[in-house]
Amino acid sequence: METKPLVVVGAGVAGTAAAVEAARAGVQVTLIDENPVGLAMMGLDVPLTFGKRFAGTLGDREAMLARVLAANGALAEAKAAGVELLLGTCVWGAFRNTETSRRLDGPQVGLADDKQSWVVKYDRLIVAAGSRDVGMSFAGSHMSGVVGANGAHSLMSRYQALTSRRMVVLGSGDLALNTAKMALECGIEVVAIVEVSSSARGDEALLADLQKEGVVLHTSHTVKEATGEDDSIVSVVLVEIDENNEPVAGTEKTLGADTVCSAIGLAPNIELLSLLDCDVSFNSELGGYVPVYDDKMRTSEDSVYVAGDAAGISEDMALNPEVARTQGRLAGLAAAESLGAIAGARADSRRLEIQAERGPASSSEVHTYWQKWLQSLVNAGGLEVFACECEEVTRAELIELQPPRYLDWRSEQMGNRSLQTQMEDGPVDPDQVRRLTRVGMGQCQGRRCREQASLLLADASGTDIAKVPFMSYRPPVRPLPLSVMWPHDETDEMRENWVKWFIPISRVLG
Amino acid sequence: MPSNKADVVIIGGGISGLSTAYHLAKAGKDVVVVEKGIVGAEASGRNGGMISERTDEPDLVPLAVESVRLWPTLDDELGYPTEFVQKGRLQVAVSEAEMGRYLTEREVGDRFGVHVDVLDPQEIRDLAPCVTDRNLGGIFFPKGAHANPQRSVQAFAWAFQDRGGKLYQHTAATGFKLAGERVTAVETTAGDIEAETVVCAAGPQTALFLDMVGVRVPLATARAEIIATAPLEPLFEMALVGNGLYGRQAKKGNLLYGGGPHEWIDVELTGDPGKPNTPLIRNIARRLADLFPVVADVPVIRSWAGVIEQAPDSLPIIDVLVRPSNFVFVSASAHGFAIAAATGKVVSELVLHGESSVDISGLRMDRFGDVSPTWREDLGWVPVSAGA
Repeated sequence: METKPLVVVGAGVAGTAAAVEAARAGVQVTLIDENPVGLAMMGLDVPLTFGKRFAGTLGDREAMLARVLAANGALAEAKAAGVELLLGTCVWGAFRNTETSRRLDGPQVGLADDKQSWVVKYDRLIVAAGSRDVGMSFAGSHMSGVVGANGAHSLMSRYQALTSRRMVVLGSGDLALNTAKMALECGIEVVAIVEVSSSARGDEALLADLQKEGVVLHTSHTVKEATGEDDSIVSVVLVEIDENNEPVAGTEKTLGADTVCSAIGLAPNIELLSLLDCDVSFNSELGGYVPVYDDKMRTSEDSVYVAGDAAGISEDMALNPEVARTQGRLAGLAAAESLGAIAGARADSRRLEIQAERGPASSSEVHTYWQKWLQSLVNAGGLEVFACECEEVTRAELIELQPPRYLDWRSEQMGNRSLQTQMEDGPVDPDQVRRLTRVGMGQCQGRRCREQASLLLADASGTDIAKVPFMSYRPPVRPLPLSVMWPHDETDEMRENWVKWFIPISRVLG
Repeated sequence: MPSNKADVVIIGGGISGLSTAYHLAKAGKDVVVVEKGIVGAEASGRNGGMISERTDEPDLVPLAVESVRLWPTLDDELGYPTEFVQKGRLQVAVSEAEMGRYLTEREVGDRFGVHVDVLDPQEIRDLAPCVTDRNLGGIFFPKGAHANPQRSVQAFAWAFQDRGGKLYQHTAATGFKLAGERVTAVETTAGDIEAETVVCAAGPQTALFLDMVGVRVPLATARAEIIATAPLEPLFEMALVGNGLYGRQAKKGNLLYGGGPHEWIDVELTGDPGKPNTPLIRNIARRLADLFPVVADVPVIRSWAGVIEQAPDSLPIIDVLVRPSNFVFVSASAHGFAIAAATGKVVSELVLHGESSVDISGLRMDRFGDVSPTWREDLGWVPVSAGA
């Protein structure tokens, strides 16, 4: 199996900066990015919430490859620095030896393009896997037309393929304002910015610019429902809320819109770090569960570094890419140093240079804000709205811990069970809730519903959100067709020894 | 605060322990179950969910047959859904050697009165059209079935509680208080619990607990892996085994399949043994696509791993210890889910009457004789050294 000295996952600002930094220090770097993402994957809202608002041009892989390259000027810089660039390649797994898994021939990542998968070993790994969209559901949000801010950004800036015409943006932080600005620049009509709080949260000058362009800000409002035709959104009903997040009767406003862009927040992509058993901790100011890392961006696992949104997201990162770039450079430098490519003293002085470039980071607690959104949506739309759209599990079914509706199960005993009764047996456990209700068990593997489910469980159980564990991640962290996932290089030994159940794995795993 | 006294204290909230707990509570006993994590956290909640008469293991047949008889009653009996589906078990052969083993299973079935059909390749495809046309035939157990492991464990747990049983999750047993020939209490992280009888159903930790009372039981632990595809239209309803894989199509439509080599591991008395997946899931994917060529383009969306304990003959051990005399234990060697409907009946009978109405004579400890201290090494059932 091939060993790469340094694998960088994610060719966004942070990952590209990391790759360039390490390559300039003399490390042979492999930079991997899943863009261009295939149409089938996008249709499943993986890796971002694309809401089926993308053009068929995405099927032209060569053209999209060119656009991906053009969208990130730093990729040319990386190539010039000698970085091996693998685009259209996802990292679906990460594996290392542990007490209960000892037969791997070193730490490794599972990669796949649209045709096949393979596994490569790494000496150092930098996870710059970015963030995913935090979504909250409302009646009608299962229809096409709900996009996330990250999904919309990707479709607009990377692919020039967002097919929205009239967009309602949820949230008014910098992420939301920046999304609205980009949408306007793409010729999309931004009908409204909806904010659940009583005032806007983001950059005032940017907001003023948007308002000059005719974008209407609705503070103290939430979404009551979206209505549609042919399973596609055509209008959105807003309603004003009072200081208790309760809808005010008679204040409904119906806006014609084909797209609702959820820009209330982002969550770090920690799935690969989680698979590698890197320590994580809950930090609401950084978006929830984030990896623990030191001043060199090294995680609890010596060979694994993190940078950019995957390390945690501060509110100003939407407008200021310097934070991610600095983190990327620090991670790239530290990885290079630990590989012996750059001497300690030189690395130290370079580190000082990089840190001097770092922009100011501001951040604030996000879960209180997300909870306010969720509360307003529940108050306006009720509990009979899907919390998990893949598996069609309503909020009520989640917090009442009811079995999935396809079982069509009714019994007095089951009716008496709920999250409340389960709490008598121990603290809330989202993995257990997932197995019983199927929330987060669908094709997107909870990418869209994790935050909503955790907040609902926290609220219903009276648990501090910081004490609610995250639903575990399992490989493949991207849905991979069997024919792509399977090993084209399977050993004869594996084939011949397969059916014998109790033979040590050591004899057959090549 | 947990109560500090019970008629029976059961160590382990897996399906064997909870089935036993349910039957004892139903019989009017005051029962406490201590579980170090949550119910079904280990093999009971992570297995393939298959239920059959197991004519591949003659000593297991009486217990398995009784379980197959009882499983269909559980949804109503417990009052909670198990996702039980009884549409048979199909074993597809992809090699002559495999077909040979299947025919032996049929002979064993004849001996025990278990109906087994032998099918030719076309009959296989008539039953399950998605199976590869390169199959060599197989056998079919009309009474085979499958259910949802996690849901079934929870059903037993809830039904146990509904009948007055006390379930302490996040409470680990850590030792025993002994007096003379008896255990007087189970030591736990929440304090001692006095017991008239102790039932050890601790899965991977069974050997560690038995060791504390001076009994060496030959059990080694292994980690195994399963993959899940995206949901599909209904392809087949029976449990379907073949090509070195076991599994089912869940009611939701996902194909859930496991198999292949296991990795021997060590476990601690408390805590949660790590259950990572490995690139082995790619090999499972390959076998699944070979078995069902029509699903080759269906995505795999997750995988999981589980930890199971195994006796040298891969059969359950159910027994009452001689000393301490009030100590019953059950270990399932990966059969725990299949036999669960009968396990509780049998083990509760051992607790209440000292004997079982089902023939478990082939599942007693004495079949191993004196266990060599190096039996794991002798079999090669040991973890590779760390860092290898």
